[in-house]
Parts: sequence; structure tokens; C-alpha cells
Amino acid sequence: MVAIDPNLLYVLLIAISGTLICAAVHFIPVGGAPAAMAQATGIGTGTVELAAGSGLVGLITASYMYAYEPLASMALVMAAGAMGSMVMLASTMFAGSLVYAYGVAVPFASAQVKKDPITGQRQDTYISKGTQGQGIPTICFVSGVVGAGLGGAGGGLIYFSLMQIYTPLIAASAAAVAGVFTMGVFYVNSVIPSYGVGGTIEGVHDPKFRRVIGKDVFTSFAISLLCGIVAVFIAQGMMV
Amino acid sequence: MSEIKDRSPNQLMAFGIIGGLIGIYLTYLLPLLGEKIGGTIADIIVIIAPAAGALGAMCSVIWGADAVRRVAKYGLGTGVPSIGQIAMGMGIIAAMFGLAIVKTATIAGPIVALVTASVIGFIIGWFAQNVIKMKIPVMIRCMTEIAASGALIIIGFSAAVAGNFEFNNIITLVFDNGVMLAVFWVGAMAMLHPFNACLGPDERQKRLLYLAGSTGAITMAVIGIAAIMTLGTSGIFTFLLGVVLWFIFYKKFWDEVYNDAAAVVGTGLIPKTEA
Repeated sequence: MVAIDPNLLYVLLIAISGTLICAAVHFIPVGGAPAAMAQATGIGTGTVELAAGSGLVGLITASYMYAYEPLASMALVMAAGAMGSMVMLASTMFAGSLVYAYGVAVPFASAQVKKDPITGQRQDTYISKGTQGQGIPTICFVSGVVGAGLGGAGGGLIYFSLMQIYTPLIAASAAAVAGVFTMGVFYVNSVIPSYGVGGTIEGVHDPKFRRVIGKDVFTSFAISLLCGIVAVFIAQGMMV
Repeated sequence: MSEIKDRSPNQLMAFGIIGGLIGIYLTYLLPLLGEKIGGTIADIIVIIAPAAGALGAMCSVIWGADAVRRVAKYGLGTGVPSIGQIAMGMGIIAAMFGLAIVKTATIAGPIVALVTASVIGFIIGWFAQNVIKMKIPVMIRCMTEIAASGALIIIGFSAAVAGNFEFNNIITLVFDNGVMLAVFWVGAMAMLHPFNACLGPDERQKRLLYLAGSTGAITMAVIGIAAIMTLGTSGIFTFLLGVVLWFIFYKKFWDEVYNDAAAVVGTGLIPKTEA
């Protein structure tokens, strides 16, 4: 294998994890304000809140793994992050579904596809007039869990890379600095795709998904690369 | 209703940058001045110095809130909070970079952070405009301004908690104990809340700026509580000053609301035809 400068490797890893977070946002069914009134498919809150909420839980579980097993491999830290995120988003969607089903009493239907790709059930006949679908159908739920997994893995990867850079320099404070920097990268990368999708997206089956993911991922990669370079420079600054 | 001229973006930008930097640098210069004078006055100066950082951050909050107003007016499709969060995301990355990269030349830190934030903001704005194609004419400029004010807000409030803006000191007193999260979140709220609360057809800049002043001041009070933990007496001063400023600005905002409410006129009933 070609020897690669460790700093360059970390910059690339941070860029990749930023891109993972950006891609993750596209999988999560976000309905925004219309969904909060059960007039659109998805969870009734903003893209950023969902992506960041699930991602930060992933960050907590990833850092928990790292704190108790400092020799854990990169894959383990990423898996811990993915697990935390997936549990967080799945429980959010489950609780939301209970409210939609038993509180608002709407049938779950997607407005973007005629048949649910997973269950094969008709969707269009269940959509109320004047709405963009309601609730969280199976495909959205699955897509959301997959997206949360990607986001959590991305968060774990940034945290892992930053810990590798900072721990030799500021042993005790590395976790705090890495955690806060990860949060910064997370917010930048969850807002950019949310501008791309324009507030609402149903998940992987939405035609919008294919239309916007290319340019969003490109943007995110470029900006995360910049963040990675900045992270390595911060480490240079710590070496007094 | 008589037309009231808005403050221009350039005026507010100058106010935010100059006010912010003066406040942040005073936390560094006042103790030096105190050393020269000596005696009781020196003690008092050292106690009030960190509050200057929070005052500087308040200036930046007012500037940032106006930048949020200008860009969010176009409708982002994701709600106003998203822009406050990206501002703090960019701001924190730039602030850490600026304060760390200068090593022992501490004095240059805030300016380097400000420039870095502007560059990051410009790049993100450029991508949002040209790659994601958001079609918001003020996007690039506002993104740059928002990132820069985010960095100043973070440094200002951090300096109020840590006593100065030396990176290792900030790591010990702001990062390690988790106060950074409060700075991040409450700072973001201070910046995004004014437009989020005031938006609508009768939104006016003057009212929004007073509200921005009040959110900045209440943030200062919160930061003061954190500073009581780290700096003791200085924190009490920051807290009290924050509460007093909050009362002043909130009263002004209150008066503006009353003033504007008197000018709201009836628009008639909703048309009968179904939309």
C-alpha cells in the first residue's frame, strides 16, 4: 500500500464523513411544517433538526464507545454512532406514527409513488384531497433508519479522526474539542442539503432525491474538505 | 405611517465588526491597563474586563440578526433556525482555527478568526448560490456576514467566560466544562430568534434590532451565570449587566410593538372563493 501522510488521510476522512452526513439528510423523511399538520408525508419538523438530532445522538454513542474502548477500531466507533442514530430516529418516527395514527387519525400514504416499493400497497387512493400524503409509510420509515445510520456513522468517523489528531497534543481536553468541532461540521453539513432539498423530502423513493443528491454531495464534499484542512491546522496551532 | 429609514447593511456591518472586535480586545487590554494603574482601580478594572467581551458579542448579535433578516426574507424553505445553526457551525470552526493557529501571538487571534469565518462563509454562500442554485441574490454576502458574526459571537462570549481569548485558556475554561455548548446554542438562538419572531408582512427593522439587543443581553446574562462558575466576581458583574441591558432593550422592543400594533389596519375578510 502506498504510504499516505496521516494528516492528508484525516482530511480525506473528515471530507468523507461530511459527505456521509449530507447524503444521510436526503434519506430522512422530512415534512416540515405541513407534516406537523399531517398534510405532507414525513416527520413534522425541519431537516436540520432531524439530521442534527439523530446525528448528535450518534456522536454521543460513538464517543461513549471511544471513551470506554480507546483502542476500538474505526469501524466499531462508526457502528456505535450508526446504532445510536438509528435508535434515535426510529423511536422518533415510531412516536410520531402513534400520534399520526391514533391522534390525528390519518392513513399513512406517500404522495410520490403509486405503490410502496416495500409493501407493494396502493398509496394514491389513501391521500386526502389537497394534501401531499400523510404520516410515515413503510418506505419512508426504512429510508429514514438507513439515513440515520449513515449520519451516525459519519458523525462517528469525524469524531474518531479528530480524536486521532488531537489526543497526542491535548490529552485530557481532546474529547471536548473534537466533540465541539464535530458539532460544527455536522451543522454545516446538515444545513447545506436542507437548502438543496428545499425543506421537504420523502426519502430514497422521492424523485427529488435523484435530482438534488448529486450537487448536494459535491458541495458537502468540497466544504468538508475545507473543514478537514482547518481541523489539521488547529492541531498545528496546538503544538506550541 | 411615516416612513422610517432602515439602517443600511454597511452601517450595521461596521457596528458589528468594530463593536465586536473592540469588546473582545478590551478583555485583553483592560487588565494590562489595570496593571499599569495599580491599586483598587486595577482590581475593579480586572473584574469588569470580561463583561466587555460579552458586550462585543452583543454588537455582533445585532449585526448577525440583521443579516439573517435580509437573507431569510427570501424564504429559505427550511425555516429561519437553520441559518442560525449554520452560522454557529461555521463560526465555531473559524473561531477555533483563528485562536489556535496564531499560537503565542494571541492578539491576532480574533482577526484571523474573523477573516477565516468570512472566507468559509463566502465559499458556502458561493456553493449555495451557484451549485445548489438557491437563487437568492444576497446569499453570498449574507452568508459571509453571518459566518463572520457567528465567529465574533463565539469568541466574545467565550472571552466573557474564560477572561481572555487565549486558546489554551478557552479550552480549559470553556470547552472542558461544556460551557461551549451553551455559548453555541444560546448564541445561535440570540441570532436567529429576532427574525423568527418578527417575520411577516409588517416586519420592521427597528423592532427587530431592539429584539436582537434583548436576546443578546439575555445571552449575556446566561453567559454571566457560566462565568460565575469560572471567574467568580466577574461573572456576577456580567450577569447583572446582562439583566439590566435586557430590561432596557426589552422595554424598547415592547414600546415598538405597541407603536407598530397601532398602525395595523383591517384587511377585510378572507375571500369567499376556495383557493
